[in-house]
Amino acid sequence: MNLGSIARATATFLILVLLHYTLRPLLGWRAPMDFLVLALLLAAIRVRPAAAAIIGLILGIVSDSLTPEALGAGAVAMTVVGYLASWLKAVFFADNLALNAFFFFLGKWVFDVIYFSVEQRLGGIELIQQLLLWSPLSAAATAIAGILLLLIMRPLLEPSRV
Amino acid sequence: MARAVRSSNRADLIILGATVLVALTARGLPQNMREPVASVMRRTFLAPLVMLQERSEASRRSLLLDNERTAIRDSVALRAMTVTSLENENDRLRQLIGLGSRLKWGFVPAEAIHGRGVRDVTTMTLTAGSNVGVRRLNPVVSPEGVVGMVSNVDPTMSEAMIWTHPDFRVSAMSADGSAFGIVQAHAASATTGYLMELRGIPFRSQLKPGSLIVSSGLGGVWPRGIPIGTILSEISTAEGWARSYLLRPVVSPADVGAVMILRSDRATKPFDNVWSSVAEANAAAERIVVSGDSAAKSAALAEAAARRAALDTMSRDSTAGGQVPGGLPPELMPDTVSRAPAPRLDSAGAAAARRRAAARRDSIRRDSIQRDTSGVLRSPTRGI
Repeated sequence: MNLGSIARATATFLILVLLHYTLRPLLGWRAPMDFLVLALLLAAIRVRPAAAAIIGLILGIVSDSLTPEALGAGAVAMTVVGYLASWLKAVFFADNLALNAFFFFLGKWVFDVIYFSVEQRLGGIELIQQLLLWSPLSAAATAIAGILLLLIMRPLLEPSRV
Repeated sequence: MARAVRSSNRADLIILGATVLVALTARGLPQNMREPVASVMRRTFLAPLVMLQERSEASRRSLLLDNERTAIRDSVALRAMTVTSLENENDRLRQLIGLGSRLKWGFVPAEAIHGRGVRDVTTMTLTAGSNVGVRRLNPVVSPEGVVGMVSNVDPTMSEAMIWTHPDFRVSAMSADGSAFGIVQAHAASATTGYLMELRGIPFRSQLKPGSLIVSSGLGGVWPRGIPIGTILSEISTAEGWARSYLLRPVVSPADVGAVMILRSDRATKPFDNVWSSVAEANAAAERIVVSGDSAAKSAALAEAAARRAALDTMSRDSTAGGQVPGGLPPELMPDTVSRAPAPRLDSAGAAAARRRAAARRDSIRRDSIQRDTSGVLRSPTRGI
């Protein structure tokens, strides 16, 4: 990665983080899109798995700080998702919107599965409902938002092919 | 090369393990330690993000509140639009309750259901039928007076012929009982709306506008004393053997909502003071109108007399050569238009001229009136 691509990727990352704390609460959906997961996934495919795990840990801690009772759950989920995304980046390098949408969907759903499992706030039927209904819906919304962002911000999001 | 890749993968795994361990450690912190850690982060580098999120949530709340306020405002406006109709309905129901308390027995309350068609202007459906004692030809009344009569009866519903129906007739009389006739619907027009006709009034009976017309009790269907309408004006008819009058009905068909159906046994019994309040109100209104007319007429007569007196005074003054201070100039006075300007005289001369003019007027009056042999005063211009 050269300096320009690092700057573009950083800008994209910051924009997504800002969207997470502005657009998401403004919309207030029951199954919200997760811009932090999008930011993590787009960053993870540009770095090594170890770096992706560290980025995930930082993002997770940041997001958890707003919900102290779940502190650490998001960090664990982000770390694992970042590492896996970076590890699987070869699969998702293809310039295919459907594949990228599936990548976003899978990343968000895996994040939710890990998050709610570690958080242990929900249980029983509520957990099943969350993981099989709301999490897929949220993952779908995240995938759609990710595809839209890919289309809009394509010049910024060109991955490094080193 | 392969060793380098393996060591790199091993390093990645080690870092992964370390980060997961850190995350799990954070997760494993006791509750009293989580909040201080999170609070420190929120107050330092996360403060801008926290502020952004708070503002976004506030914006969303204000948007939702605005929608809610708009909905409340619309609801209030909608309710305000219905307040008048509710008040009217409340008044009508109060009147109906009053009528029921005065009737005491022998009536069936019912809701009037209006149709939407040409035919339905003359009929309406009532929510009471033979199960509660309604029979054909039962009178249908409202607190104001005559509405119609039952024409068809079902067990739970009935159909009533409103007074606007061409076949509707009711024997009527003036409130003082001086004139009797038959009331029927007047052919409606765009300008008059729904009105009634009172036919068959003898020529010797003349009814004043505003007089109340009530049912006479003749015919056996309608009891005596139920208000029907008030006289508007006399109308000319082709028959020419009796007077006909246009009536303003006391009941407007469109305003009929709740009614009373008088049962047959009740219709034959007297109605003491049931509608007297309505009749008294109408009579009072008529008295007010008449007294108002009399007062206006007296005032007009007094004003005309005063105007005549003033003109006479001004005329005399102008004839005498003087001009009333502040009045019209002599050339504009009616009596002086065709005359030459009078010469100015001194006061003695003016007095003499006034005496001569008065003598001339008196002589003209005396000459113009002749006394015939029978002692009757006649004017010579009209002949005998």
